[in-house]
Amino acid sequence: MQGQGTIRLFKRGPTAEFRLFVFVVLSLSLLLVDSRWRVLDPARQAVSVALYPFQRLVLAPRDAIESVNGWFDAASLARTEKEALQRQRIELAQISTHAAQLAAENRLLRRLLNVSEMVSQASVAVEVLYEPPNAFTHHLVFNKGSSSGIEPGMPVIDEGGVVGQVIRVTPFTSEAALLTDEKISIPAQVLRNGLRVIVFGGSSSGKVEVRYLTNDADIVPGDTLITSGVGGYFPAGLLVAKVDHIERDAASGFAVAVASPLSHPERYRHFLVLRTDTTKSEASQEAKPSGSPSDKP
Amino acid sequence: MVRHPTNHKPAAPGLGKSSLSSLEPIDSAPFRRPSSGVFVWGTILLVWLFSLLPWRLWQPTPDLLLLVIAFWCLNEPRRVGMLTAFIFGLLMDVHDAGLLGEQALVYSLVAYGAITLTRRLQHFNPVVQAVHMLPVVVIAEGLSSLVHAWLASEWAGWGWLWSALFTVVLWPLADILLHLPQRRQEEIDSGAA
Repeated sequence: MQGQGTIRLFKRGPTAEFRLFVFVVLSLSLLLVDSRWRVLDPARQAVSVALYPFQRLVLAPRDAIESVNGWFDAASLARTEKEALQRQRIELAQISTHAAQLAAENRLLRRLLNVSEMVSQASVAVEVLYEPPNAFTHHLVFNKGSSSGIEPGMPVIDEGGVVGQVIRVTPFTSEAALLTDEKISIPAQVLRNGLRVIVFGGSSSGKVEVRYLTNDADIVPGDTLITSGVGGYFPAGLLVAKVDHIERDAASGFAVAVASPLSHPERYRHFLVLRTDTTKSEASQEAKPSGSPSDKP
Repeated sequence: MVRHPTNHKPAAPGLGKSSLSSLEPIDSAPFRRPSSGVFVWGTILLVWLFSLLPWRLWQPTPDLLLLVIAFWCLNEPRRVGMLTAFIFGLLMDVHDAGLLGEQALVYSLVAYGAITLTRRLQHFNPVVQAVHMLPVVVIAEGLSSLVHAWLASEWAGWGWLWSALFTVVLWPLADILLHLPQRRQEEIDSGAA
């Protein structure tokens, strides 16, 4: 332009249309790459780490109010908790004697069968930092990340059972998809008869589904589903859901059981992340860290 | 700029003598002085921080950050442009744990719309501006929803339409609040005159 001798009177960048084109192409390619591959995760992590101080900053008033509230409520809370715990202790005393008996018996049987001893699970207690406002997914963001030993793939539980699975981790935060998220599938079994199934995030909100059941499968409303331990991400024996009803499709020959999760991610702020060995299960069956530990029942 | 109460009769053409004070500007549209850069960026940062709080869980809630960025794109296109909109869109994508680029697309499109409408809308009142911005926001959000539906093969429902509507409805309020420093300046000026 200057070579032709014209004088630039006004500072002017590229035209608005050109800028729009650049940004639209950039956004679309980001969308495409992010929805198909995981190469953008480091960038997302970097931005997320940069965002973290701001997130903590704006949430500081809430946290302060909660801590003050908690301090004032502490006395009454302690009283009610004490009563509840006392009651629980009496109930548990019976159960624990029974459990001790069973454990001894189990050890004996395991030794007879040459099955290796079950290791107790290490865990990290986490608190919900915030719930991402996203219309498509049911996720929670926790206040601890890879610096506390959390890795993608680890299960998240509360006292009701499985809450979800960690899918993304930054140094200080971690993101978990809830049980009801479409991305999640959990190998489970029916507590009553040991039927192995896979529990999928439901198409209806707040529910999970057991798909690919044959029409004559022995599963009835009221059945409890627990994790089977197949696949390696979820340790065996965690409560998952209770079956509400069965939808049998005579045409396809398959049935779907709709179940309600037994955990309550919407009620509490504290959860437990089980530090299962995600590398081992990955190596053993090449499942994606975020994806489903998929195995056929 | 305040119109002086004239004691003189308006000078009719061809009547001979007329004093300078009887002259009135042909275009009496108020002259807008530019907002200060600190104020512009301060409001954007403030609203961005506010958007990090957990109040947007209900899908039809208005997108205040989009509103403020669009407002400054329209009124201060030299300071705030598509790059700003794109970057803040990306930041919101990361915070909301959505697909990267989803809100960045919406923000860039709305910023483009606002920048192209700058010349036409700058002298209109905020209600007319809001009416013009409605299709821009709806088209941007609709396109983004379509792209998401294509990529993730799930349709988000129509909550975004309400969100766009509520965002635009708040435009006049944004106009009042974000032009507050200028109004005060004008009052000071008219007081001095």
